[in-house]
Amino acid sequence: MIPFLLRRLVQSIPTLFLASILIFFVIQLAPGDFLTPAKLNPNISPEQLAALQSNFGLDRHPIEQYFLWMKNMLFNFDLGLSFSYQQPVLDVIKPRIANSMYLVLLSTLLFYAIAIPIGVFGAVRQNSLGDKTINVILYFLLGFPSFFLALIVIYFILQIRSATGLDIPINGMTSNGFDSMTPIQKFLDIAKHLLIPAIILAVSDAAGLTRVIRGQMLEVMRSDYIRTARAKGVSERTAIWKHTFRNAILPIVAGIGGLLPGAVAGAGFIEVVFAYPGITPMILDALNAQDLYLIAGFTVITTVLLVIGNALSDILLAVVDPRIKVG
Amino acid sequence: MTTTAPATTQKKDKPLGQSQFSVAWQQFRKNRLAQAGGLMLILLYVMAIFAPFIAPDALSSYSTSNITRFHPPTPIQFRDPDTGAFTRPYVFKYTQQLNMDTFVNEFKPSAERCPLYFGVRGASYKILGLFPGNLHLFGTNKEDCSVYLFGGEDLGRDLFTRTLYASQISLTIGFGAVLITTLIGLMMGAMAAYFGGIVDTVIMRLVEVLAAIPYLFLLLLLRSVFPRDINPILALYVILGILAFIGWGGLARVTRGQLLSVREQDFVSAAKSLGASDNRIMWRHMLPTLTTYVIVTTSLAIPSFILLESGLSFLGIGAVEPYASWGSLLKAAQDGGLSSLNTRPWVLIPGFFIVFTVMCFQLLGDGLRDAFDPRKRA
Repeated sequence: MIPFLLRRLVQSIPTLFLASILIFFVIQLAPGDFLTPAKLNPNISPEQLAALQSNFGLDRHPIEQYFLWMKNMLFNFDLGLSFSYQQPVLDVIKPRIANSMYLVLLSTLLFYAIAIPIGVFGAVRQNSLGDKTINVILYFLLGFPSFFLALIVIYFILQIRSATGLDIPINGMTSNGFDSMTPIQKFLDIAKHLLIPAIILAVSDAAGLTRVIRGQMLEVMRSDYIRTARAKGVSERTAIWKHTFRNAILPIVAGIGGLLPGAVAGAGFIEVVFAYPGITPMILDALNAQDLYLIAGFTVITTVLLVIGNALSDILLAVVDPRIKVG
Repeated sequence: MTTTAPATTQKKDKPLGQSQFSVAWQQFRKNRLAQAGGLMLILLYVMAIFAPFIAPDALSSYSTSNITRFHPPTPIQFRDPDTGAFTRPYVFKYTQQLNMDTFVNEFKPSAERCPLYFGVRGASYKILGLFPGNLHLFGTNKEDCSVYLFGGEDLGRDLFTRTLYASQISLTIGFGAVLITTLIGLMMGAMAAYFGGIVDTVIMRLVEVLAAIPYLFLLLLLRSVFPRDINPILALYVILGILAFIGWGGLARVTRGQLLSVREQDFVSAAKSLGASDNRIMWRHMLPTLTTYVIVTTSLAIPSFILLESGLSFLGIGAVEPYASWGSLLKAAQDGGLSSLNTRPWVLIPGFFIVFTVMCFQLLGDGLRDAFDPRKRA
């Protein structure tokens, strides 16, 4: 196991290195920098501008900037300074990543809780009325962009709100007066805000996975060893969950590695629609402000996590599938 | 019973289609759903081409004196309200009034009727940028009493018109990006397989690096290279290019793998010994072995690219004013304030066009996949 991990680590170094170069120089290509708007401001003197420039290291050659950035990142875990927040990038990102993680973890739980039972049901009762109905609905759902689904749900929530007066939150992560709540109230408040975006995210993602699980289950159920298992008299339950399901989920396990960077990368469009203080809205702001180190630092973190996640899913795959040997 | 005999002999006379495509076509002909999807797509594209003619208004014409922000849809009436008899179709003219309790501008239909005519002269346009015209399929001929089939959006422009114009962009960018990305993927994969060595290493490393960066951030990162306020037309090409740039990795890998095995086969060495150029061997001899795979993956990739484009436009970095795509129209739906969304549900209509298009492409893609898959043949 350990040599395998080491080998993965060594193999991933060039990829990470190239990715960091790509990220850094793509940003360098962008016209202007953080100081461009400041230059247009008559209240800031040229001396101040020059001082700012040397403070941020913007007056040096891009290659020099890159090595400086890499050195700080590797040896001090310092991703640089965010221009617009005037704080270290890590400090800006951390709370945002935490917020995004709450949302994504909840939605991932819901995602599997929805996709696995429905997928297995569809395979076990193939071509039944329930299976056909679910198939049609899922096919329909596959075409929905997640942000459109969110807008529709918000529309219905607003209708319910105006009809019953229920206060269902559709905005942000906390209510007004969050700071004066007790810890339990705080927890409930966040949970209330998280639930709807998490469900929408889970449902819009689950459509694809459910179809995969159903297809895999059907394929495995036709194989000889399932017939053998049935013939030797195992119960239907064991035949499905122990013999079929365990083999059918192998491709899904292979995809689990994507969850780790996914969790950090946040819920993307859903966060934007619900004005959730997660990663994606922050990155969009950073793009507008040309906040170089914030974008670069964050993309590097997710890239590193993706590589780790891929290694993890290889290990998990070996745990589920004894035919694969690690090392 | 004997009457059926000639029919069967006639069938035997017909030459059996033996090429891969004729077999696939026969299979496809049996799949009603896929055909329906294809037909709907043809209709959608025809609609997009003739959008300026079908739309009653111009892409971004709005009145600055008579502000019709979020004008509700005007249902087309066919009956005379007094007599109940059928008349020429008409719409009611809407008047605005500020509700003094809620301070919300309310639209109410007035008694004035604006009849609809076919073939109205109106805003001039160019179909496909070539054929000028000013004829519109229908309209009211009156400036201050237009027909709003889907209602108005936040500047008071006709949403039906904008949705039709948006289809031009939404249907082209996804499709075009897939075509370009397929070409890049094939070329890169072929180059990696054919030349091997350093070219192979460089290309495959690039694929790995592109796959290592989460795609949404890669998209945003690449978009940030260009200033946000570039020429709107240029912005469309930028989005097209970015989408094409991030998507080719998977295809390049498959192409390389497939071609590595093809490279050793006799017909390639035969072509080589006949003196064919590298280019010719690659495009005429090796890549055609991938035709089926490319057709199927391309048709299944188009819907996801359409979704991506709509997502980018929704974030405000895709199609920008004055141009519209279905995604950017949904963004405008959000701009008026989310908490009043339930007072103007019609702004969500463009989203259903996305769903419908994606579904049609999926049906078509699934049908093509089944048609080319020998295991699915009945």
